[in-house]
Amino acid sequence: MSSEQTLSADVVIVGSGVAGSSIANELARAGISVIVLEAGPRVDRQHFVENFRNLENKPSYQGPFPAVPWARHPPNQMTPNEYLHTTGPDAEAYQQVYLRMMGGTTWHWAGCAWRYLPSDFELRSRYGQGRDWALKYDDLEPFYYQAEVMMGVCGPDPAKEDLGSPRKQPYPMDALPISYAAQQFRKLISEKTPLRVVHEPQARNTRPYDNRPTCEGHNNCMPICPIGAMYNGSYSVYHAEAAGAQFVPNAVVYKIERDDANKRVTAVHYFDPDKGSHRVTGKYFVIAAHCIETAKLLLVSADDKSPDGVANSSGHVGRNMMDHTGVQVTFISGDEALWPGRGPLETNVIDNFRDGDWRSERGAYLVHMVDDNQVDLATSLAISKGYVGKELEEQIRYLASHTVRLFSHNEGLADPENRLTLSKTYKDILGIPHPEVYYKLPEYTVKSCDHTRGLFKDLIGLMHGRDEQWTPGYFPQDHPAGSTIMGVDPKDSVVDGECRTHDHENLFIASSSVFSSVGTGNITLTVAALALRVADTLKKELTHA
Amino acid sequence: MPDTVRKVFVSLLVAGTVLAGVPSRSKAADTPDAALIERGGYLATAADCVACHTKPGGKPFAGGLKIATPMGDIVSTNITPDPEHGIGAYTEEDFEKSVRHGIRKDGSYLYPAMPYVSYSGLTDGDVKALYAWFMHAVKPVAETPPQTSLSFPASVRTAMAGWNMLANHNQAETGDSASFDKMRRGRYLANALEHCGTCHTPRNFILSEKQDQYLGGGPLDGWYAPNITSSKTSGIGDWSEDDLVRYLQTGAVSGRSQAAGPMAEAVEHSTSHLTDADLHAIAAYILQVSPYDEDTAHKPRDSFGEATVQPDIRRGDLTRIDDVTAFKGGAVYGANCAACHGDDGAGARNKYVPSLFANSVVGASRPDNLIMTVLYGVHRTVGKTEAFMPGFDGGSDVQRLSDGEVADVVNYVMAQYGSGNPHVTADQVKTFHKK
Repeated sequence: MSSEQTLSADVVIVGSGVAGSSIANELARAGISVIVLEAGPRVDRQHFVENFRNLENKPSYQGPFPAVPWARHPPNQMTPNEYLHTTGPDAEAYQQVYLRMMGGTTWHWAGCAWRYLPSDFELRSRYGQGRDWALKYDDLEPFYYQAEVMMGVCGPDPAKEDLGSPRKQPYPMDALPISYAAQQFRKLISEKTPLRVVHEPQARNTRPYDNRPTCEGHNNCMPICPIGAMYNGSYSVYHAEAAGAQFVPNAVVYKIERDDANKRVTAVHYFDPDKGSHRVTGKYFVIAAHCIETAKLLLVSADDKSPDGVANSSGHVGRNMMDHTGVQVTFISGDEALWPGRGPLETNVIDNFRDGDWRSERGAYLVHMVDDNQVDLATSLAISKGYVGKELEEQIRYLASHTVRLFSHNEGLADPENRLTLSKTYKDILGIPHPEVYYKLPEYTVKSCDHTRGLFKDLIGLMHGRDEQWTPGYFPQDHPAGSTIMGVDPKDSVVDGECRTHDHENLFIASSSVFSSVGTGNITLTVAALALRVADTLKKELTHA
Repeated sequence: MPDTVRKVFVSLLVAGTVLAGVPSRSKAADTPDAALIERGGYLATAADCVACHTKPGGKPFAGGLKIATPMGDIVSTNITPDPEHGIGAYTEEDFEKSVRHGIRKDGSYLYPAMPYVSYSGLTDGDVKALYAWFMHAVKPVAETPPQTSLSFPASVRTAMAGWNMLANHNQAETGDSASFDKMRRGRYLANALEHCGTCHTPRNFILSEKQDQYLGGGPLDGWYAPNITSSKTSGIGDWSEDDLVRYLQTGAVSGRSQAAGPMAEAVEHSTSHLTDADLHAIAAYILQVSPYDEDTAHKPRDSFGEATVQPDIRRGDLTRIDDVTAFKGGAVYGANCAACHGDDGAGARNKYVPSLFANSVVGASRPDNLIMTVLYGVHRTVGKTEAFMPGFDGGSDVQRLSDGEVADVVNYVMAQYGSGNPHVTADQVKTFHKK
């Protein structure tokens, strides 16, 4: 089955998340024709809010988003999983979740909008570990700011709280007010430790911004902000559409076609949900389909000319899988009540271990004091202790107000052995193989996690904590990176410093898949900044052509 | 957000031609004293000149705001003291004639979207002060807004001479307006400056204000400027002077009402900047205006409804992400309104988000203002407080509701918390969309 009509545009983008939609918006505003192909459907907020209200397992942030069969995403973080199959000694630590639908995974992120540190881009030259990027912090700085303005990021006054990533402009919005729980936590940390708690930069409105309201602290950023105070990719989709970009939902790209010389991409092919095949031609192509799906698409496109997959002469497509592996503990503070669960989920971070000379030995990390509602945990704990009746009610109240949850982002490291491949066993209804990832935690990350556990134990002691509940092993933070790694040398990397594939001059990748190191801050702002930089490159090349 | 096109009401039109070609003449040679200029600035704020004479994002008083009418867009003029593009060449006499009588320097008639019918009540001293301020404190802007071109017969400015004879005018006040007693000062501010009646008084067949229904309410570009007479059933007869002062100062009084649309702009640009004494004068005057009782209203708009009690213990089936089937009333409310206004309709505890019961917009017998609020939201900045509700029309980034869903949620909210189900249909909602 093939469609009669061939779609065509100056730039064809695969994926409508923050990366794809923001590129589309920039290009469309510059008068460049754009088509965005999105594997998933058009969606809207009210149905997700309704799903969330009906959801029994509220913390399940993949829960309100039951996938469509032609564009499945992982239903949860369980291993084994019906879609993302992980293997290896640390399979469970790579059980990432993400969303395939218009607007992408930022429908259910927590809005944490960190810039990377300058050192994150130079891990190899500064600390002899991992890889350097093929660009420096300063190359990205203007695009970080552009991304912050686009998303609406609030953050602290740099003169009062320097987060280590030099800024030319202040944050577009003032930092969030600090919740009561966070105030208590800050006080403790500053009085009893040499550490500090900083305001986390957040893509969340602290005043009406971009025709969206101020955050009211509903405390369910994940799975769904009910009022649109937090950025998600759908806003960039709307803005891009208003500027003339064309978005095609339910378009599952399965093949990247190249010219005879295998130097230029000529078209991408997609299946509609009924497996009708369509061809879309263009001058430039951008794959912006999330770290996992981007690598999968390049591998699926293997043919005689590129037997190991498109853009894969290095053999590095699908390798170097990284994440911010997490260590997590909840406990009951023996001190005064904190009453967590008021305000946004993640606003306060201990950032002392984001950088240091010790990075030559062990990975960096940051610690979130997670400000989420703890009634469910408190209830199960109180029941497990055998309380009933009025005492049960009192215990729930006590425990919910005294629970502390800490988790970390521990730095992963590029290791080619950690690898995404196409499943030989599982295929979706369109016949496209599921992704499979082998994962073994780098020693570097394990040492970092050990250090974090030590810190958490100290903090539990400081707060006279009890009833510690450690999440077993290591858990995924859903910040996958590295599957089309950036580098100077085409022999061991997939894209160059412009995010252009070494193999195909008109094929770009806008995704965390290009990250050469993963640092500690949440990845989204860096994804957006890289995407806006790709848009800038494309604008220059298309307007000078 | 202000619109680039603001419809006022049928055929109230503003002077739209360009003053180019008028021989340039220097400003008054003597600079008037600072007190007079300052007084003029205050009066210009009270008269809210900036609202019409500045386009969104434009330079103050440089004109360019489009006002849509059935006869075409008309464009407000540059009233900065630039001699070529603005009114810099106007003498005080020229200025007086246009402000109080609607006659331009070149002798042609202004269209009465310029509320000269109201301004005709200004004292000589206040006209002088306004002139001094416009000439000496407003920055000249060398920009000419696009020319107004209307279809026949409105294109014939002389036709306005006839209208002028028929329309009622305020008698000019005399004496020093600053020395008026409270009630006289209130009437002066409400009529000659704030021109409340321009929107709140219904119009007769020649579009002149019906003085027997003074402040009795009238439609305004989709919104409805409600009855603000002292009627106990239809107006604001249950408001105290302090309530009204607070409303004009902040745009919101919990348990009464909140300003959106054109009234939010009036509060932002004008009333929130007035002195307490002047606001009390206006309030005292408005609250003694003769009641106009409407047949359709039997109790005050802000006296309807109460908090609902409905514990949320849902355990329903989840819908797949591609299922975007339209919701019905209560579900539209639950997924789009309840997060801020509460499952019980009580709003936020600090009332940043108002309650839906005891709320004039929901208790009104006409659904117009609730429909407009759902479609276009609220954006009102007074001092440091920025009240904001997103719109839910087809341009919303938060949630785009269908006309049917808007109708459903309006009916649900008014049935649940207000004056009763108005049975609005999707087709009716469609007529409220901005063109």
